Amino acid sequence: MKRIFEIVWVILVILTIFAYLLGYLKLISTSLVAVLIFTTFIKGALVSDYFMGLQNVNTKYRLIPIAWLILILSLISVAYYL
Amino acid sequence: MSNNTALKEKYPPGDFGVWVIIYVELITFGLFFIGYAFSRRDNLEMFNNSQLMLNQTSGFINTFILITSSYFVAKGVQKMRSMTKENYESANKEASKWLKFAMACGVAFLFIKLSEFSHIFGQGITLSTNKFFMFYLLLTMFHFMHVFLGTIILFNIHQRTKVSGYTPEDYRGFESGASYWHMVDLLWIVLFPLVYIIR
Repeated sequence: MKRIFEIVWVILVILTIFAYLLGYLKLISTSLVAVLIFTTFIKGALVSDYFMGLQNVNTKYRLIPIAWLILILSLISVAYYL
Repeated sequence: MSNNTALKEKYPPGDFGVWVIIYVELITFGLFFIGYAFSRRDNLEMFNNSQLMLNQTSGFINTFILITSSYFVAKGVQKMRSMTKENYESANKEASKWLKFAMACGVAFLFIKLSEFSHIFGQGITLSTNKFFMFYLLLTMFHFMHVFLGTIILFNIHQRTKVSGYTPEDYRGFESGASYWHMVDLLWIVLFPLVYIIR
């Protein structure tokens, strides 16, 4: 895909605006925190895969930042919900 | 699928050393993030009240700036990867242009963060005010130092592109600096919702 970086950037911006509006308009609720954490994972994975270029690298190296994101965001969820 | 696997690079872009640094930073910040999340759980009201004193708009603008700077750096790397012996001078020139945009973003981030710190300190808030501000100041100041260092790294790479110092055989230094910059972005992507939004 020729314009992949542009597409990734647009998705990142949209998800960032979504996060900001949740906070700014005080819409954040217990269930929306889960959505926010999920969108944070998507953003992190996009940066890691496309901007860092790990998508085209041996899977074990690609999975390190993804595993980090899953672990950190899961523990943040645990601290929030349990 | 098997074809894709065969085409994959063996190692991540850049030097091995920079990846060691990146992994160490991810672990360090990760521990801070978890510490913040569990401390918040034990001091819910105080964390929520203190968070109201933060400027979410400047946090949002800074997220936008870092994401955009990462895009510029990725475009620079893309230019490096597509260069040939015939066009390496123009590729360096083009990459230099992308780096200029990325550095401008880095400087803008630092200025916005400094004004946020000045506002916070102006209200008499310090590391010892409460646990929320201890985490907020430690996390954001630590991250600030990384953006500062990242901007200096981008400047150094930019200086080399100006003299067409990268060739199709050797642009690993460019990739190393770019990977470090993307890590700084990745960390902020988690930090922003955690500290500014979630309540």
